Formats: sequence, structure tokens, C-alpha cells
Amino acid sequence: MSEKPKIAVYTCYCGGNISHTVKCEQVAKLLAEQPDVVVSRTNMSLCSDAGQSQIEEDIRELGVNRVVIGACAPSLHEQTFRKTVIRAGLNPYLYHHIGLREQDSWVHTCDADGATCKAVRLMAAGVAKARLLDPLEPIQLEAEKRALVIGGGVAGLRAALDIADQGLKVVLVEKTPFLGGRMAQLDTVFPTGEEAHILLADLIDKVVNHDKITIFTQTEVTKVSGYVGNYGIQLTQHSRGVSAENAKALQDACQQMVADEFNYGLTERKVIYQPYHGCYPPLPAVDWEHYNGEPININGKSEILKDEIQQFELSAGAVVVATGFDPYVPREGEYGYSELPQVVTLPQLIRHMALNPGAKSLEWQGHKVRDIVLIHCVGSREIEGIDEPQEDGQVNNYCSRVCCTATLHMIEELRENFPKLNIYDLYQDIRTYGRGHEDYYINALDNGTRFVRYHGEEKPKVFAAPKGDTHPVLVHVTDALTYNQELEIPVDLVVLATGMQPRQIDDLVKMLKVSRGNDRFLLEVHPKLRPVETAVNGVILAGTAQGPMNIQESISAASAAAAKVISLLGSGQVELQPFVAAVDPEKCNGTGACVEACEYEDAIALETFVEDGKEVTRAVVTPANCTGCGACVAVCPNRAIDVQGWTLAQYEAMVDAIAMDIVDLVEAG
Amino acid sequence: MTKLNISNEPKILILATLAGGYAGADSTGQSHVDYPANTYILPVMCPVMFPPEFFIRAYERGIDGIILMYSGTDSPYKVEAEGTAKLINATYALMKERGIDTRRLRLAAICTVCVKPFLKEVNNMHNLLKGIGFVKSELKSHPAPLQGAKS
Ligand SMILES: Cc1cc2nc3c(=O)[nH]c(=O)nc-3n(C[C@H](O)[C@H](O)[C@H](O)COP(=O)(O)OP(=O)(O)OC[C@H]3O[C@@H](n4cnc5c(N)ncnc54)[C@H](O)[C@@H]3O)c2cc1C
Ligand code: SF4
Repeated sequence: MSEKPKIAVYTCYCGGNISHTVKCEQVAKLLAEQPDVVVSRTNMSLCSDAGQSQIEEDIRELGVNRVVIGACAPSLHEQTFRKTVIRAGLNPYLYHHIGLREQDSWVHTCDADGATCKAVRLMAAGVAKARLLDPLEPIQLEAEKRALVIGGGVAGLRAALDIADQGLKVVLVEKTPFLGGRMAQLDTVFPTGEEAHILLADLIDKVVNHDKITIFTQTEVTKVSGYVGNYGIQLTQHSRGVSAENAKALQDACQQMVADEFNYGLTERKVIYQPYHGCYPPLPAVDWEHYNGEPININGKSEILKDEIQQFELSAGAVVVATGFDPYVPREGEYGYSELPQVVTLPQLIRHMALNPGAKSLEWQGHKVRDIVLIHCVGSREIEGIDEPQEDGQVNNYCSRVCCTATLHMIEELRENFPKLNIYDLYQDIRTYGRGHEDYYINALDNGTRFVRYHGEEKPKVFAAPKGDTHPVLVHVTDALTYNQELEIPVDLVVLATGMQPRQIDDLVKMLKVSRGNDRFLLEVHPKLRPVETAVNGVILAGTAQGPMNIQESISAASAAAAKVISLLGSGQVELQPFVAAVDPEKCNGTGACVEACEYEDAIALETFVEDGKEVTRAVVTPANCTGCGACVAVCPNRAIDVQGWTLAQYEAMVDAIAMDIVDLVEAG
Repeated sequence: MTKLNISNEPKILILATLAGGYAGADSTGQSHVDYPANTYILPVMCPVMFPPEFFIRAYERGIDGIILMYSGTDSPYKVEAEGTAKLINATYALMKERGIDTRRLRLAAICTVCVKPFLKEVNNMHNLLKGIGFVKSELKSHPAPLQGAKS
């Protein structure tokens, strides 16, 4: 940094939000006395046009070259003020923002002096940092104007379509032989009652007919290299196993049957199959996982099917992860599941209803169902220490969000189709949070559904009824709605409203280096401020891969992901925040400690140069691959590497300012 | 202008990750819950950037307690959970050498909406420091001279 710092300091009243507690005038006065501070002002509302104009004026007229602002949280207005200083011709990274509202005035309301001292120290720390700020430029990279979308469920389809509609190329990769994901397995859907496969067919039609979208089914990502703007992707594709010419004959002749996962094991299908009528692609596929390798006889010729695996390489500027969810599968014996034939999951009942349209009565395994119980929260909202952990030792303590409305939607269907059915709904809380969702609850209350409320610590119990009983199954539950009365409900069918679980995508997570939350779903950078971005530049999340969502939310998330991709790649250039490691060539003597400490591939390497006829080895950072975590900073014996904008020296200066007595701060002026 | 009553309480430095503790502190602010004002929160991208000596230096300069509010296993940085644990252990060793009570350094996983855990950590450290007092009394060697605003 060559020029002498000329720092402008602004302490915002925030319309009284800050000034009601913090004595802003006093803060401004003390800060004015700090070295290098050329102007220190207060303002009623700095983010207003007048406030911003004042900053611009000071930069232009007083030659201010560093700006420190104490105001609301940086998350709210840091970007606003970056633009302000740019307008006045200053580098946007020569400005530092301090949160005096959320982290000071709002939390020390009973201690005005304490809050004021704190503001002074924090602002002094800001000034100390500002002195050491360097102008930075966002990192500019050439971008491949093509996105890879992983997952062909509703979220992946929507993201692909939105991206392609803006003129970018899309490669859509689906692991199974067919598009549609879990939505294809639904019947009618809340909150509109429309048929899922009709909605889906419309979307799929647009996607497959889009000239910018290339679809690979039976395909997985097997290698990822590179960085935002230029990811190198390897795809591995299984063959379909049949052609348009021989598909029908092969399918007819095929004898091998397996459980049909599309119907959650309620039916069987052949290993050459199509999950449902009208699916895309329309050509059947071989289920290579289950095919036993036996020859299939057609026209007197026996044929052994072969999976000819192919690999492709492609480059993509960004990756959208839309790998979706799996429904929770109860453990053996959990609420009698897989021990009692009368215990099923909600997804199974949805398929059962779809397979038996127009049935006069609800039948299960040949028996008429007169009384039915639906139990909420199965595999969701589990409690540590009470519920048995999942295989990985964790309990699913999150709410799956869709199952309450899905259950009540099912109750409405049951009531409409089978008016005489006795329906019991066993719930912890009714979380029908979306527009129109509560109507299902109101309708269920009106249509004679009996609601029983249980507590998570005291789950309902499901038993086989003694022989000769009127019903095959008994459900015991303590009802919180009737002062903890113990109820025994004899029923013909128990439906477990199973929630959502993250899919098994360990390989993908490793390849893309994305993080997962405690709930094991993929993690965004920030739930409010950057809700679809991951910490890996150019890897964006869409739909239920990120957490439980309904279709509407999955589509919104997918469109948000598409918008991110478009803004990232649209110009053919990517611009990244400059907060990455930077090596000081004067200090670096090539110890390599940084290279060893870095966990990210191709982010930093030692390179040898010839300078003045001498060979020198130094660390070189590839900014696009660097996340700015700073693992390298901590280990460098020469302090030759720093994260730009967040340097160790800046932190030390801030600590010194905080540690200093205010009297000293005053004297320092 | 009213005179400022300058508090002379032990100082708590909170290094809080943008993806975790810093946002958690903002959430606490939005809940309008009071906590002690001797708390100075600095945002960090990922705490693995600090060498153990950074913490010792801070104590020598007069910071009495430090809470590292990281994002734990929920971090967007793969290195954060493991790297921070290592860093803390190495710092504890140095603190012992310098005669600094290791309770003056706390590691806490704080999420973006962790209001209660945030308050618990802050109040616990505040109460601890009330009991054990300023760090200067513990430092075996003389504190290094103060640099900063004047430098
Ligand atoms: C019981 C139940 C009832 C529901 N009812 C409704 C309702 O009535 N209304 C409503 O709005 N919502 C409902 N939902 C929610 C709805 O199902 C989801 O919101 C929606 O299906 C999510 O779509 P998605 O694309 O995120 O995930 P998915 O549908 O799971 O799609 C993900 C796709 O990615 C593919 N994939 C996975 N891993 C890979 C990989 N490694 N490589 C390539 N491809 C991969 C999968 O094969 C799949 O095709 C219900 C959910 C449940 C559990
Ligand atoms: S949505 Fe309802 S049923 Fe599903 S986990 Fe949440 S509270 Fe339980």
C-alpha cells in the first residue's frame, strides 16, 4: 500500500435503532481523533440517498481513500455501500463495515455506556483494519457457457429448462433409465389436486424438445476436476440393453421378475421394464442391477443381454445438484413394519391407490379395510436418546415438512372414495404450513376424521390383535388431546407417514467437495443470504437434495439455482470475490508447508522460476480453486501467505484496538 | 455531551465464522436479548487461518477470554471442523506453557440461528472471567508492548 490512508468514519443512527443505546456522537468524536481519520460523521440513516451522497462527496472532495461504516449488520448493507464507494471512484474493497445494531445496540439496551465503549472499540478496530486494506479486484475467469444438471427429477428438469431458456447449453444426467424422479410415483398432488404425471409430462416434453438440452439417462458423474467456469466432468453411462426394434419382443419373452421399486415393492416387474405408461424415454430398459445374465429366447434365438458401459468427457461452467431424496424406510418391527402385513408406508398407499383407480372399497391383500390409522412423523423428528439411531448413528431429528399435508391430502382422497371408512390420524403437530395446505386439515376435521395427538417421547405402539379379534391390528396410543387417555384402536390397516431422507450420494459429495448439514442433506452457504449456493464456487443446489421440500418449493429452488447459473455464466466470464490466498513473493522461500496444509485440489502448488539467473521456488495459488479457508496462512513460517481482505496482520491490528484502553485510544489521537 | 463511563471489565474476543457464529450473533440481535457488552465479535471466513501464536498474542495484548464460534461439521469448508480442533489443542498447549488458564479459550459450534447456544457461551465466559479476572495476572512473562493505533 503506497498512498497514505485517509479514512472516513461513519456512525449511523439507524433511525434511532443504534442511537437509542449507543451514544453515536461520542463515538464519532473519539474516532475523529484517531490517526489517519480525516472525517468522522454520524448520520440518521446512512443507507438513504442523502447518506450515500455524503460518503461519495467525502471521497471526492476530501480525497478519502478508506471508508469505515458502523451501521446495521453487514449482511444487509455491505453490498449497498460497496456500490456507493465504487460510484465515487474508490475500490470497493477499501471499505470496512461493522455491525453496530444486531451486535451492539440491540443486545446491550440496559448498558448504554457499555454499548458505546464497545462501539468505539469496534470502530477503532475497523479503522485499524482499514489502514491495512489493499485494493482488490474480483477474480475474472473465462466460463464455459454450459451447465451440468445432476438428477432428472422435477427440480433438475426445471433447472435445466430455465437455464436452457436463457440460451445456455445444459447436460442433464439421470442415474435411472427414466426421467421424473419421485414425483412420477405420486398420484394426485397437493395443494391443487392435479395429477402428478400430467404436470410432469408437460415439463418433460419441454425439456426433451429443447435444442439446448442434452439428456443422458442411466448415467452418473464419475470424475470432477477444474473449477467454476471450467469444470471437467467424466460421465459413465450404462447401455439401455434393448433397441426400438427388439424391445417389445425381448420384453415379452423376458421371464425374470423382481420387486418393482416404482410401486415400493407392492408389485413385481420384469427386468426389462418401463415403470409406467407414458414415461420418458419411451423405450424400455434393462435393470442391470438385477438381471441374472440368463439368455432370453426370441424367435428361436437365445440372447444374452450385455451392458456396454461408455464414458464421456465434457466441460461445464457450473454444476446443479438435484439428486433429490429417498423416502424413509422403517426398520423391521418399527410400528410393526415388515412384520405385520397390515402395516404400510404412505408412499406405498399412494401407489396402491394409483394402481386401483375407481375401486369401490379400500382393500388390502384381499381384505376390506374398515378402520385405518395414519401415523405422522415416522422417521422424522426423532429424539436423541429416545429413538433408535439410523445406521450411521444419527437420529433424523428434522421435520420432513411434506408428510403432514401429504397425509391429510391422502385422508381427503380416502374420504371421497370410501365414505364409510373410519379414519384415525395420529399426529404430534399438524404442520400444514403452505398456502391452501391448512384446508386439508380443516376438511379432515369436518369429514369425521378422528385426530389423536401423541408426544414424541411416547410413540404409538402397533400389535397383532389376538386371534379371533374383529380387526387384525391394535394400535395403542396416549392421547394428549383427552388428558392422556390410553386408547386402543382396532384397525385393518396402519399407514406410516414416512418422511424424507437424503439420497446416498457419498461419491458425488466427495467429487464435488460440497458439505452436508447435520441432517445429512447438502448444505448451502447461508440459509437466507445465499440459499442455493454451496461453498464451492459454481456448485449450486436445487430441490430436495438440500432438504425436505414440496414440489412447489423444489421448483422455486430449481429456478433460483438456474438464475444463479445464468448470472454466473451468462457473460461467458465468471467474477469471483477476491478473498483467496495470495503469496507475498518477497517473503516466500518455498517451504511448501502451505501446499501440504491445503485440502483443496489444485488450489496451491510449488513452482520453480528463474529470476536474475537464479532458480527460485515459490508457492503459486490458483484463485479459482482456492476457497479462502486460510489453512495455508496458519502454517507458513515466513508469514508469506494471507487471505486477501482478511489478513493476519489486519486481525492483529483489530485485536490491538479492541484490547486498548479507551483512554489510550483517546491519547493515541 | 454526557460523560462516558468507561467500563473496566475483562474483554471477550469472539471470532465468529460468517457461515456460523457471526450470523448466530446477528440472529441473537434480531431476538433483542441482552448480553454483556464486553464482547467484541470479529467475523472470520474459517478459523483454520489462525496460528496458535495469534491467540497467545491476543492474551498478551489484554484480551481476557476468546470464544471461537465456528460452524463445526456444518461448515462450508471441509477443513474447518478437524482443523479448528487441532488448532485449539495446539493453542491449549501454548497457553499452559505461558501459564494462561485454558478456560479462557472456548470452541463452540454456533449455527446461523443458534440464539440460545450463543447466549450460553457468552454468559459462561463472562461469568468465568468475573471469577478468574484479567489475563494479565496470569501471564508469566511481561506482556509485549502495545502496538496498534499509534503504529
Ligand atoms: C409421501 C410423499 C408425498 C408427497 N406428495 C406431494 C404432493 O402431493 N405435493 C407436493 O408438492 N409434493 C409432494 N411430495 C414432495 C415431492 O415428492 C418432492 O418435492 C419432489 O419429488 C422433489 O423433487 P426433486 O427433483 O428434488 O427430487 P427427486 O424426485 O428425488 O429427483 C431426483 C432425481 O435425481 C436422480 N439422481 C439421484 N442421484 C443421482 C446421481 N448421483 N446421478 C444422477 N442422478 C441422480 C434420481 O434418480 C431422481 O430422478 C411428496 C413427498 C412424499 C415423500
Ligand atoms: S411434516 Fe408433519 S408428519 Fe412430517 S415430520 Fe413434520 S410434523 Fe411430522
